[in-house]
Amino acid sequence: MSGQGLTGLSPWSRRLVAVGVLAWCLITVFPLYWVVVTAFKTPPGVVGGPTYIPFVDFTPTLQPFIDLYQGIRGEFFRTFLNSTIVGLSAAAIATAIGAMAAYALVRFEFKVRFGAGLVFFLLALAGYLFFNATFGLTRPQALLLAFPIALVAAVIANRLPLPGPILGNEDILFWFVSQRMFPPIVTAFALYLLYSEIGRLGFQLIDSYVGLTLCYVAFSLPIVVWLMRDFFEAIPIEVEEAAMVDNVPSCRIFIGIVVPMSMNGLLATFMITLAFVWNEFLFALFLTNSRWQTLPILVAGQNSQRGDEWWAISAAALVAIVPMMIMAGLLSRMMRSGLLLGAIK
Amino acid sequence: MMRNDPIKHVFIWPAVLVVLAISIFPLIYSLTTSFLSYRLIPPIPPRVVWLGNYATLLQEPRFWSALFTTTLIAFIAVGLQYAIGFGVALALNARVPGERLFRVALLLPMLLAPVAVALVARMMFNPTMGPLNQFLSKFGLVNLPFLTNGHWALACIIAVEVWQWTPFVILMMLAGLQTLPEDVYEAAELENASAWQQFWGITFPMMLPISAAVVFIRLIESYKIMDTVFVMTGGGPGVDTETLTLFAYQEGFKKFNLGYTSALSFLFLIAITIIGVTYLALLRPHLEKRR
Repeated sequence: MSGQGLTGLSPWSRRLVAVGVLAWCLITVFPLYWVVVTAFKTPPGVVGGPTYIPFVDFTPTLQPFIDLYQGIRGEFFRTFLNSTIVGLSAAAIATAIGAMAAYALVRFEFKVRFGAGLVFFLLALAGYLFFNATFGLTRPQALLLAFPIALVAAVIANRLPLPGPILGNEDILFWFVSQRMFPPIVTAFALYLLYSEIGRLGFQLIDSYVGLTLCYVAFSLPIVVWLMRDFFEAIPIEVEEAAMVDNVPSCRIFIGIVVPMSMNGLLATFMITLAFVWNEFLFALFLTNSRWQTLPILVAGQNSQRGDEWWAISAAALVAIVPMMIMAGLLSRMMRSGLLLGAIK
Repeated sequence: MMRNDPIKHVFIWPAVLVVLAISIFPLIYSLTTSFLSYRLIPPIPPRVVWLGNYATLLQEPRFWSALFTTTLIAFIAVGLQYAIGFGVALALNARVPGERLFRVALLLPMLLAPVAVALVARMMFNPTMGPLNQFLSKFGLVNLPFLTNGHWALACIIAVEVWQWTPFVILMMLAGLQTLPEDVYEAAELENASAWQQFWGITFPMMLPISAAVVFIRLIESYKIMDTVFVMTGGGPGVDTETLTLFAYQEGFKKFNLGYTSALSFLFLIAITIIGVTYLALLRPHLEKRR
């Protein structure tokens, strides 16, 4: 630890710095305090102007929460359940397969020819256009057909001695992470169209558990792979080498040794992913409409539905915020133990 | 040491397949759609217009204004986040009294739903009943048009962005600061370098790589801004605070003008790529000098 930054400063400037940090902290905390107290106000307590301290400035009431529970402002209970189910399952699946991929990238060697990647993209594009234009297949059918063909062709092309650079593990990692750079609107909108056309084929993905979870898994994977790779790299390889001498198969090494050793990292990654899915707005806006609506959509809707009924809006916002507050507490414990340090380089 | 074992494919393929399916699929889909004139309402059969959509868009003032607004929000917000975040991280690293307590509070905003944060912001910025109005009225500034005047609304959105994402900068910078070697500072101490000199001579250059990464991540993420604006102003007043994502959403989901929206999202992608590449190119000489 290098606690050096302030040693050269005079006591006065030291105090000044402390005041500055305190000020920022107040700015951070005040809106949160505000939303908590507002959620317990009665309508007159809000309209009469800002009031700050419960029991002194106004009499707190539980009415906004009772309204929420009774479903006067939309089905909060079910939406909360939706968010929880989708969030937990998407985070769990993403952490599981993302950790597997990250482990593979740390411990095994991969070689992908750039040409093979190009073959994949061009064949998928050409195949899609070809099937759509000549065979008169619908767009999703054409895509679904072109995808496996392009994939198989790419895998074969990877064995051929094509010219062009050979990409290694770092490049694969970069490909994963670069998916995060895409503006989500590009995918969200196309995904909406694709889902709805697949829906017309008889398999409903819009406003369904599978469709939403699949999309969230895909969009959490880049972060999971990135974070988990650093956790796995920090694990000493000797234990695994010892197991390999005893001829323990790789998947048992992974499940029996590596996973337990990186449990903290997995937990932290799981929680970060969960927060990401829980708060996500854009995809949920496009891909759900009633049954599988998630909390951010319902919360955002509170505003336009009834105007400035702040007591209700605050209660609604609080429902979306509180679980994440609890998680912030848990995460900051992990942060203090220096666990997240390894993840950030 | 790298192993080579066929089982590696079992490990990596699920993730690759999911990401491929969900990202390449829509990419091809919207790339091809962007060359069509294609509307769902009213339903007219798609017609190939090649670059027609792009040409229309580039002449559309609303597109440029959305691009400008997004750029403005991203750059100002990230600049402020970086300045405040680095400052607070330095202070926390130097063990300011009460530093433990600050940490939980300072981590909080980035984990909260932007939608909920925006709703809270609407309350804070309410021109008649909000606490900010009450506070400012003590200085004689009554009923400022926080969200109903274009410039004010932009400033408010930036303020909310800074509020929510400075914690991320603090978190990353703090982690970076804790990895700096101590002996360099001890040497500087012997040379009687002032705190100011130490910062510009040692801390800042050594923190440059992580700073570059943090600013890059935040910049890219800020360009995607949507939920905060959607709830706070809905792009208004007029289209004064409309960002690229919001513009695309309005065109696509309200008017179902598919070809146009796809072209728009590709221009967006191109814009982000240009900014990202320029940023990296500008920084590269500085980063390599250090090695």
